[in-house]
Amino acid sequence: MANVVSQYESKPPPFGHEMRKCFSFDPEYINMNHGSYGSLPSPVAEAIKPYYALAEANPDLFHRFTSIDLIRDVRKRMAKFIGAAHTEEVVFVPNASHGLNTILRSFIWEEGDIISSCNTTYNSISRTAEYISDIPPHPEVVQFTLLFPTSHSEIIQNWRAYVRSLNEMRDQSAQKLGRRPKIVAIIDSIISVPGALLPWKEMVKICKEEDVWSVVDGAHSIGQELDLNLAEANPDFWVTNCHKWMYAKRGCALLYVPKRNQHIIKASFPTSHAYKKGGGSNFVEQFEWNGTIDFVPYISASCALDFRAWLGGEHVINDYCHRIALEGGKRLAQILGTEIIDQDQDFQFTLSMVNVAVPFPPTMSSAFEIDMAFRRKLLIKRKIYPAFFYHNGKWWIRCSAQIWSQVEDFEVLGQAILEASKEILEEFGDGTEKKTMGIEDKVEKVN
Amino acid sequence: MSNTQSIAPVPIDQIVKATNILQQSSAPKFGHELLPYFSFKQGFLNLNNGSYGALPKVVTEACNELMAWQEENTDFYYRIGFIPPLIGVREQLAQLVGASDVDELVMVPNASTGLGVVLRNFLWQCGDTIIRCNTTYATVYKTIQYIHDVTPGLEISEFQLLFPTTRQAILDGWQKHITNVKANAPQGQKIVAVIDSVVANPAAAMPWKEMVKICKDVGIWTIIDGAHSVGQEDLHLADCGADFFVSNCHKWLNTKRGAAFLWMPKESQKIMLTTIPTSASYVTPGPDRPETNIVSQFQYNGTIDYTTYLSVHVALQWREWVGGEAAIHQYCNNLAKKGGALLAQTMSTKVMDPNGEFTMAMVNVTLPFPSDFQAQYDASVGTALIYGGPESAHKSGMNDFEILGNALVTICSEIVSEHKSANVPQNCKAVSFSSYLEQPLKGAVALDSNNGIGAPRPVTSTKVTLVGYHTQLASIRP
Repeated sequence: MANVVSQYESKPPPFGHEMRKCFSFDPEYINMNHGSYGSLPSPVAEAIKPYYALAEANPDLFHRFTSIDLIRDVRKRMAKFIGAAHTEEVVFVPNASHGLNTILRSFIWEEGDIISSCNTTYNSISRTAEYISDIPPHPEVVQFTLLFPTSHSEIIQNWRAYVRSLNEMRDQSAQKLGRRPKIVAIIDSIISVPGALLPWKEMVKICKEEDVWSVVDGAHSIGQELDLNLAEANPDFWVTNCHKWMYAKRGCALLYVPKRNQHIIKASFPTSHAYKKGGGSNFVEQFEWNGTIDFVPYISASCALDFRAWLGGEHVINDYCHRIALEGGKRLAQILGTEIIDQDQDFQFTLSMVNVAVPFPPTMSSAFEIDMAFRRKLLIKRKIYPAFFYHNGKWWIRCSAQIWSQVEDFEVLGQAILEASKEILEEFGDGTEKKTMGIEDKVEKVN
Repeated sequence: MSNTQSIAPVPIDQIVKATNILQQSSAPKFGHELLPYFSFKQGFLNLNNGSYGALPKVVTEACNELMAWQEENTDFYYRIGFIPPLIGVREQLAQLVGASDVDELVMVPNASTGLGVVLRNFLWQCGDTIIRCNTTYATVYKTIQYIHDVTPGLEISEFQLLFPTTRQAILDGWQKHITNVKANAPQGQKIVAVIDSVVANPAAAMPWKEMVKICKDVGIWTIIDGAHSVGQEDLHLADCGADFFVSNCHKWLNTKRGAAFLWMPKESQKIMLTTIPTSASYVTPGPDRPETNIVSQFQYNGTIDYTTYLSVHVALQWREWVGGEAAIHQYCNNLAKKGGALLAQTMSTKVMDPNGEFTMAMVNVTLPFPSDFQAQYDASVGTALIYGGPESAHKSGMNDFEILGNALVTICSEIVSEHKSANVPQNCKAVSFSSYLEQPLKGAVALDSNNGIGAPRPVTSTKVTLVGYHTQLASIRP
């Protein structure tokens, strides 16, 4: 795509606060939660304007021909970027939830089937598994438990034992049913909360050995996880959000389905005019048009890669973010007098997100109201905000380090957290008196 | 850190300044005077608004402001900020379409999604029946096909709708069809009918409320594909009797593309278990699940750009400014009728609906193909329009429909001669859009080497670029 953007002729600003020039944040807002919704760089917002103009200059031409060609080209670029063996294995969907729902709903579920999720599975995906289980024929949801602190090797060990136990369950059902049910495992490449890289490739390998389908929620992967090579990792299905760490416009995500599995995807959602029974043979075509949407976000993925190339490329970007995440996280833990969730000596879990414990007593309530209180005190009142979550008996904050971040931001955050947690302790008590809200609510969504 | 002013939810009018200009001036007359308020390429004659709608410049600018707002503090936007304006939009739409409560109406990206999520929420069983028409829109037609393919024992019953016909003939035929379906359906199994309020191809306003009543009288569910309705016709959903109604706002309501609504009265919400994708606020059906849970599920079910939904607010302001719904409907309706007649005259063919009983803002005219060619390929063209007219003179003195008519005469004769010289096999049908591009139907398109983009282009003539004429050769959608 010939798309000469004059802003790339000059050198980019240095990483750190000066990089805010390339974004359009409220100057008073310190963005420490890029991981939830991503951020659109101003140069990318500029680069996509011509496509919006095209869409209005001749809507028919754009929607029937131009956008389709453009998106095909972008798919080619993205397929290469993630190491897919073929462009035909990669299609665009609006977001990771949409992609994962497409996969999970495509399986023909039968009695005895097992859907495996994890206590750390992203909440809407957990709900999707629940929904599928709630309707006939009620496949069973089984949960893998993952608690920090832990290590990659411990997780791999536990995962192997767990998958084997699933197989034992399956063998028992098979005897009763007279056929062998399937097991579909949802695996995060990078957990959302805590923000932590998992040994997902090894977990996928174990799934293969144990005849279990691997559905990888890679929502946080592209743009944060380096050197993706899906042909090599070979998951059965893989989904990622380009609008999170890759700077594309919301909503832009990739659905990767290797050719061998395309027959599983019965239909896109919504169903395409190109749908035909048996699916598979026209997988790409079924995802080319699923109702009128704003197609420019899909095109923006390519513009985002141009921007990232201008900054120096994937390694340059991620080396910086990773360094800031670790330094910032350590500093924050120091200020709060707590710890980073990643206790692995090599920080195997940490890419650009770091999770630090909130200084609450261990008796502190896990109620949803605490999260809401932090939201009021941080996001609204102090204009700085990390994600909050409750895990394994503690409240944590998840910070996203980005190219505009500096360690100083973590210091500002540290002070804000100290103040806010003191206020919350006064308002809600330390959990030793009767609970504030009675029922222990589920903690609300964090992306 | 200095404790600056904290942020709070604000109404759209505080964020969007682009619409201020509407208070400062009055709107021009309908017709070519309104063209500068849109962003069409100079010389492009837009006679197909029905497919993708058109965004007035004011709404484009407002969307730019809304998108900038989204980037200022994205956490605030997605956790707090978008909610009050979105509820405001839902309230406005609920009022516009005559819903009895805002919590009967939710936003979806497009009609295909809205209809898809309703159809996929039913728990389909062996013995159930889904009624569709031969004219049902392709994505919906295929959704029903898909459901049939994955539900053993589910029946599809297809009602044949062939034009030309009359409203009464349709109703008589529908009554017969429904009676038949009901008689043959197994006891206790559900029957669900998908009915277009306005058929897309050909463009035809249906007697859908009467069709709903016929279904309702015998306990058949009714899902209305109203994709073309809002902004083209007056709606009073509270007493329409249907179980579900979906309409695109980005077709005839001038919003950004990717905005539609799903109307589902409280009774209908009982069968709606989940959005697609499923939301974090999904609750397993049972005593713990609040009654309006499905409505709150639709508020957030995956990260999207809410600008499309919020643009409804601005689009409605703009439409009010140009003259309001009634005036817009009236102008377009008159023009469709007059323009269609003129087009037919120019091409020496016929208007499909000479009485105008099916005509709102879209009109269908037969293409000037020789009759044997016509029989082979069943070609027809649907034209839809907003702002072009016999009153305001075009530069060359002809009006939009005459220009189109002359272009089509040229194009069709080119197609026929290229078709003959290319030795295209008889009764050739392309199976899909991409195969259409590859088929030896070179007569239908001409390669446009100037454009630089590889796909074949339709033959162009004068200043009219004709795209997507509806034939059975291609499954391109209007």
